[in-house]
Amino acid sequence: MRFLNNMTLGQYVPVESLVHGLDPRCKIVGVLFCLVGVFMVRGPIGFLMWGLLFLALVSASRVPARLVLSTVRPVWILVVFTAVIHLFFTSGEPLFSWGVIEITREGAVMAARMGLRLVLLVMYAGLLTLTTSPTELADGLENLFSPLRRFGFPAHELAMMMTIALRFIPTLLNETERIMKAQIARGAELERGGPLKRLRAFIPVLVPLFVIVFQRADDLATAMEARNYTGGEGRSRMYPLKWSVRDSAALVFSVIFCFAAVLLDGRVLLP
Amino acid sequence: MSIDVKGLVHVYHPGTPLETKALDGVTFRAEKGSWLAVVGHTGSGKSTLAQHLNGLLLPTEGSVTVDGIEVRRGEGSLRKVRQKVGLVFQYPEQQLFEETVFKEVSFGPRNWGVPTDTLNERVEEALGLVGIGSDLFEASPLRLSGGEKRRVAIASVLSSGPDYLVLDEPTAGLDSPGRRQLLDLLSNLKALGRGIIHITHDMELALGLADVILVLDEGRSALWGRPDIILGELLERDVRGLVIPDMVRFAGRLRELGYDVPLTWEPSVLAEAIDRSHER
Repeated sequence: MRFLNNMTLGQYVPVESLVHGLDPRCKIVGVLFCLVGVFMVRGPIGFLMWGLLFLALVSASRVPARLVLSTVRPVWILVVFTAVIHLFFTSGEPLFSWGVIEITREGAVMAARMGLRLVLLVMYAGLLTLTTSPTELADGLENLFSPLRRFGFPAHELAMMMTIALRFIPTLLNETERIMKAQIARGAELERGGPLKRLRAFIPVLVPLFVIVFQRADDLATAMEARNYTGGEGRSRMYPLKWSVRDSAALVFSVIFCFAAVLLDGRVLLP
Repeated sequence: MSIDVKGLVHVYHPGTPLETKALDGVTFRAEKGSWLAVVGHTGSGKSTLAQHLNGLLLPTEGSVTVDGIEVRRGEGSLRKVRQKVGLVFQYPEQQLFEETVFKEVSFGPRNWGVPTDTLNERVEEALGLVGIGSDLFEASPLRLSGGEKRRVAIASVLSSGPDYLVLDEPTAGLDSPGRRQLLDLLSNLKALGRGIIHITHDMELALGLADVILVLDEGRSALWGRPDIILGELLERDVRGLVIPDMVRFAGRLRELGYDVPLTWEPSVLAEAIDRSHER
């Protein structure tokens, strides 16, 4: 019997590649440019350019295409929903009508545009987590947010919390599976009935899980304190971040690409 | 009446890079009113075996049959088997969730649809067996001491009225009075006709308590038989991770020195044998 085996979390694919080798700060900022760029293009040229760049990045990253595609899986309902809403509720020149349902030319364009934007958005963000380990990601974010520290922004603490949370996901999945089995052994029916019944049936799993989580958090805090953890000030790193020429080049390239995509796209405007 | 395991194979994550064979052709029988100890090193497949005995895992190959009911999907087989075979996981106190001890122990029987009039009786009986007094019935299970929690968790399995009780390292983390109390409880349950399947890494405990011992090594049944026979085999050949108890090694050394004493793990038996050989 399988319970939580199908869940894939912590998607990082540990291979050596050009994309993996970039500084996490470069990748985070680069992805931000890409995301803004994806939302600024409107026509086929723009989407084509972002799509091609994505394909190039995926092949450079040596991450299996199947894994990249699977990042869209959790949000495809949202994508379809958004596209459908735009398809039916945009006013304009009618293309097709059947009773109260009317599809306009503008609606079809908007649906395609929003759908593509969301898919690209998720896939670009997905490629970031596929090629950057959680620790690198947290380090990068901490570093990027550190200027805000003087305004009281807890950059180090947030990064530490994120790292710990990620670290404990597999542990908690194991615990959950163990408790589920223990309750099933006592006759609990976890997989029958409607959603409300299932939710109620999960109380015997959730309560012990919460107890364990608090227990673990307490133990971890004690263990960290016992080793003199005091937070961000003056703390050195095991793997210091290194910004190289390649990172600068990649960042400059993404900015230029972003402008180019928007400019070229603007010349072939759709009505 | 028995649990019959024949040629049991279990493969985790088949067809993936994580594929591992946890059990590889395990065969044995556990009888009602008898104490079977399953002994093996860490990773020998003990816990996987435990989950097969009440249908939480299903065999990749081979079969598990409980009182004639084969463990498999369909025809309510799993529900029947789970009622017959109670499974006490390692650290069972971590499964406690109800507001009161009494509700906690009635969770199982309620799931199995035991009618209300017999429910209270069952719960009181189970709590009585583990020695939890009625003053604690309305206490929160989360506020009890470690030993009490463990006993409430075992009561919550006993209240379903299982014929067999599978316990995965039931004494782990208990202090020695708590340990003694728990082992007495299991002997008591055996005397009441239940089948005890005690999973442990502790050979000494197994030798002293079990009627039959199954030794697992790397997912295979390395040895299966009465404790004295197992002991003889163990002295002949090494099984990974199993330590021959000090008392037995002591008896063995005495025999080498010419004393006429049996190879035993029981201090009192050995002491009497030494005493007798002195008289002579």
